[in-house]
Amino acid sequence: MSNTGLQEHATVESTAVDSSSIPLEWPVEQVVKPAKRRLSLRDLVRDAPIVRVLAARDLKVKYKQAVFGPLWLVFQPLALLAGFLLAFKGLAGVQTSGVPYALFALVGLSVWSFFQAALTIGTASLVTNVNFIRYTPCPRPAFPLAAVIASLPAYAVTAGGAVLAAAAAGWLSPRVALLPLAFVWLLVLTLGVVAITSSTAVRYRDVNSALPFLLQVGVFFAPVGYSLAQLSSTVRAIVYLNPLTGVIEASRWMVLSGYQPSVGPILISLAATMVIAIAGWQLFSRRETVIADEI
Amino acid sequence: MDQDGAQSVAVSARGLRKRYRLGEHRSLQLTARRLLLRRAAPPMMEALAGVDFTCRRGSALGIVGMNGSGKSTLLQILAGTTLPTSGEMRIWGRVLPLLAVGQGFHPELTGRENVTLFASSLRIPKQAIRDRMDAVTAFSELERHMDTPVKRFSTGMISRLFFAIGVMFPADIYIFDEVLAVVDGEYQARCLEEIKRLHGSGRTVIFVSHNRQQVAEVCEDLIWLERGVVRESGPTSEVLEAYEREHGGVEA
Repeated sequence: MSNTGLQEHATVESTAVDSSSIPLEWPVEQVVKPAKRRLSLRDLVRDAPIVRVLAARDLKVKYKQAVFGPLWLVFQPLALLAGFLLAFKGLAGVQTSGVPYALFALVGLSVWSFFQAALTIGTASLVTNVNFIRYTPCPRPAFPLAAVIASLPAYAVTAGGAVLAAAAAGWLSPRVALLPLAFVWLLVLTLGVVAITSSTAVRYRDVNSALPFLLQVGVFFAPVGYSLAQLSSTVRAIVYLNPLTGVIEASRWMVLSGYQPSVGPILISLAATMVIAIAGWQLFSRRETVIADEI
Repeated sequence: MDQDGAQSVAVSARGLRKRYRLGEHRSLQLTARRLLLRRAAPPMMEALAGVDFTCRRGSALGIVGMNGSGKSTLLQILAGTTLPTSGEMRIWGRVLPLLAVGQGFHPELTGRENVTLFASSLRIPKQAIRDRMDAVTAFSELERHMDTPVKRFSTGMISRLFFAIGVMFPADIYIFDEVLAVVDGEYQARCLEEIKRLHGSGRTVIFVSHNRQQVAEVCEDLIWLERGVVRESGPTSEVLEAYEREHGGVEA
């Protein structure tokens, strides 16, 4: 036993640096053996604290060394809104059942901005945390979950903006009290999609190349900036199948007074959300066991 | 544990195997070749080819072996980051793995933020992290740097912080994989003292190093891994001697 190093630092050690004062953990037996799946939904609840820390990290990292920081949350949807005003209102003349176009588009954008932000960082969340996944026992669902939660400000800013603008313009419906339900619905749908894309991206990096362009095109396959009423029946059938369509329609109905939603896509989206959420969990919890080997 | 009784064993492995695919996993070229030429799937390699060992509770176990002998794979299974292809490992207690120095750190986050992040990933409660933050800071002697992003840290500073997190939080089984490679001699000595103190207070220590002096100083027992199997195991002095006879004195 060479005690030289210890004595030199005696002052430091005597204060708080003594790990033997930490009580021993109760030994729990853990069996590690080949398994198709080792996650349970209960683990997600237990690991909520880790998700919180990771989400805080994702948020902090996003705006480090950026002058405008979180102001980008406002710029991005505003720029899209300007584009929509030009293209859909100016050129195409969208019918919005009487609602001012900017309000109509803003509610659509609240759903889209969140979905786009969450999908972008959520899909990459496993691949970008490769070292964390290979060398720490951090539970893997925490990464996509944190990415989705870190996208909440994108929703808060646009949805908050839409509600405030509707109130100021006198178009706010009392149904706005139901909006949290639409958000939970959007959250479940997004989590399901991110579970699928993030775990698939571990094996097939093609997902990373496909995603940005799918998202770019995707905004036109959902009634974010236009209304369903003006579509031809074939196109409408395609847009109805987009699970986001129902969320957007429901959100508009909740926020804007006098808005007539289409019930068809809402029902389709509800069913699709359930299927996607279950499929996402099934796929993710199975892929989870091989992530560290294939990443 | 059937014959030993749960309290006396910390880790036991029976017939542990881990197979990996050799070569690239997926590409357009590979896929096309496999479909068109009906070329067989790429060959597999066994990183672990049937490993059996028992680690007594409260002991200090070292693992030696050349590169590619399966040390890292074994530790990854022990840490829970990957699963074996067959066989099983039983673990009693909470494991705190320090596998690759600083790999869980995020370069943009500060030292303090990284401590919170890393400790949270080990499922350590928020309050405990807050309580131990000063201890981690003091042990790593990075008081002035804890609010600086880790990307501005030197390799040695990262190692210091990493090791301090490892030993300042409670666990039953501590894993140290080559954690002292880049820190200066003085800090190394303190780390070794700390590892010995953990061991002395009843924790189980699993220690991997290519430095024979460190291995001899810390470990009571040794496992010698070679090509995925246990070549020899037993008291450190005996196994180390046999290992060195074969590989001619290990780099000191």
